[in-house]
Amino acid sequence: MAGKWLPAAELTGSGRPVLHTGEVECSLLSSVDLECEENPNFPLFKSGLLIVTTHRLLWIPASSTAAFAIPLAAVSHIFSSSSSAKKSMIKTMFASPRVRIQVSATPEGRVEEGGSRSVVITLVLRGKSDQSDSFSGKLWEAWRGRAWESAGDSGSSSGVGGGVGGGGGVMSVRMPVVGVSGILRKEQEMWESTDKSLQDAFQDLNALMSKAKEMVMLAEKMRLKLLSGSNNQASAANDEEMGSKEEMQDWLLSVGIASPVTKESAGALYHQQLSRQLADFVKVPIERAGGMVNLIDIYCLFNRARGTELISPEDLLQACSLWEKFDVPVMLRKFDSGVMVIQSKSYRDEEVLLRIKSLVLKPDALRTGISASDAAITLGIAPAMAKEHLLTAETKGLLCRDVSPDGFRFYVNLFQEIVLDDLFLVKDHGTYSAWVSAAVASR
Amino acid sequence: MQNDIRKNPAFRSQFHEMCAKVGVDPLASNKGFWAELLGIGDFYYELGVQIVDICLATRPHNGGLIKLEELCKLLNQRRKSAREAVSEDDCLRAISKLKVLGSGFEVISVGKRKLVRSVPTELNKDHNEILELAQAQGFVTVEEVEKRLSWSSGRATDALETLLDEGLAMIDDGHRDGKRRYWFPCVSSISSYVGAETL
Repeated sequence: MAGKWLPAAELTGSGRPVLHTGEVECSLLSSVDLECEENPNFPLFKSGLLIVTTHRLLWIPASSTAAFAIPLAAVSHIFSSSSSAKKSMIKTMFASPRVRIQVSATPEGRVEEGGSRSVVITLVLRGKSDQSDSFSGKLWEAWRGRAWESAGDSGSSSGVGGGVGGGGGVMSVRMPVVGVSGILRKEQEMWESTDKSLQDAFQDLNALMSKAKEMVMLAEKMRLKLLSGSNNQASAANDEEMGSKEEMQDWLLSVGIASPVTKESAGALYHQQLSRQLADFVKVPIERAGGMVNLIDIYCLFNRARGTELISPEDLLQACSLWEKFDVPVMLRKFDSGVMVIQSKSYRDEEVLLRIKSLVLKPDALRTGISASDAAITLGIAPAMAKEHLLTAETKGLLCRDVSPDGFRFYVNLFQEIVLDDLFLVKDHGTYSAWVSAAVASR
Repeated sequence: MQNDIRKNPAFRSQFHEMCAKVGVDPLASNKGFWAELLGIGDFYYELGVQIVDICLATRPHNGGLIKLEELCKLLNQRRKSAREAVSEDDCLRAISKLKVLGSGFEVISVGKRKLVRSVPTELNKDHNEILELAQAQGFVTVEEVEKRLSWSSGRATDALETLLDEGLAMIDDGHRDGKRRYWFPCVSSISSYVGAETL
């Protein structure tokens, strides 16, 4: 129904917007409503994620099921909440600032570029009030930039590349907060402006240390407050509360204090977005590797693809552990040896075990067994992964290991077929007899 | 200031000390403003990627265990063009971050030296002592192990065989005295390292 009024925007499997060629994310805001006062049939777009890109305004609901876009090319005017309010005084006294945009639409009221009519859409920013200032600025910039005019076609999505480039843009956006954190933000701005003079100040690190110490003490207090606050809450019923908690955690992260991922919250917004981005990124490497990739390989691949604004190993781990909370087709798995991998949810151990079984029953393998590298070549996976699979097969009773000067090799498990009362009995059909024939044949 | 961070290992080391005193981990997440203001996050995470690369490339040779000194030397060779030297302290910090990803990245102390492990192989005290012994000549014999460490022959053979299995040791049976030598590429001196140029 909503698609009748606003053009749809494509989402990836993990809920991240699919950006067009050349489209770059500029700003990200949570808890934004979309309203259209002139249109009584306009559906309720409540509390979603608003993303400003160089080409569009994207709105994604919390459930990340479908998304909508307003092409910036359709915007004819932007009114900030300080300019003349169309509605009564009462509305302007509301806490949530509003940004109104005039967009062109078809005669029926559907938002479209070059439409004959125009409607006004209101963006209600229910997040913290500081955000609206920087937000309108970013919106103006993106709109004035007219990036869609320079591009040849606004068509195809740019897949992972666009996602990564967009991701870079997102990560550099600050999440300003009010109150004490606003004061601290001003401290930080002061720092940035005196960057040049700090060159010298760094000679004497003590000066910097005392400033940092103050900030960190305050940050610790905030963190404790956050943790005790989350214990008192029965459920995260209030959307606004959730938004501010996430912002708080983002801000804590920026001071260097790890954001606590509790049962109630999903950690900083940063990690949530990263989590979705990663889920998209890993699809290709996982396919290529046959369903499973070492976590450390993903760290290298992802960071190399990024180039700058890399992620830390802890960022990666946090992002992967958030997958449990979202509906993505990949998961994190830890083996007994401590090795961690990312595997697709549709991956089944049984498949690989069957392939190992058929490999180990071949006459050569019956005679000399298989090593991790043999398995790797046949299965078409990395040797480290192959070893993990062989060890798993051993735990399941399929294989037996043989440790000798020739190295570490695996044979099919014959013990299951051996009758304890009559050790030398070889049944006519079965693995044991196959092994006997193979062993005899080699003489 | 970004430049200072990237070019000056002593500066980095002081910075870390300061952060530790204040109780902050500048490398916890790259969203931190330490990272954005100074680019310190990118520096270490990139270093992490390079360390993983080098460990992977040298694994066929040393079984997943490499001297910290050696790792540093290879890293600096790689970074020569950018003129961004890294200290052993830098490596240690980058590796301590890599640890959380599983796969066994860890720094272990063997005698006076530090070795970087990049495989999940567990090394117990016996293995460590053999590696320490091997640092002298690059190899040991069963006899030597029994004599110097006062072990039973079973114990020595067991430990050596495990090290062999894990790819950390190589057998050399070509000596006239007929005694088997167990060589440990991971503790060999740098000059005998073959693969350096290819990296």
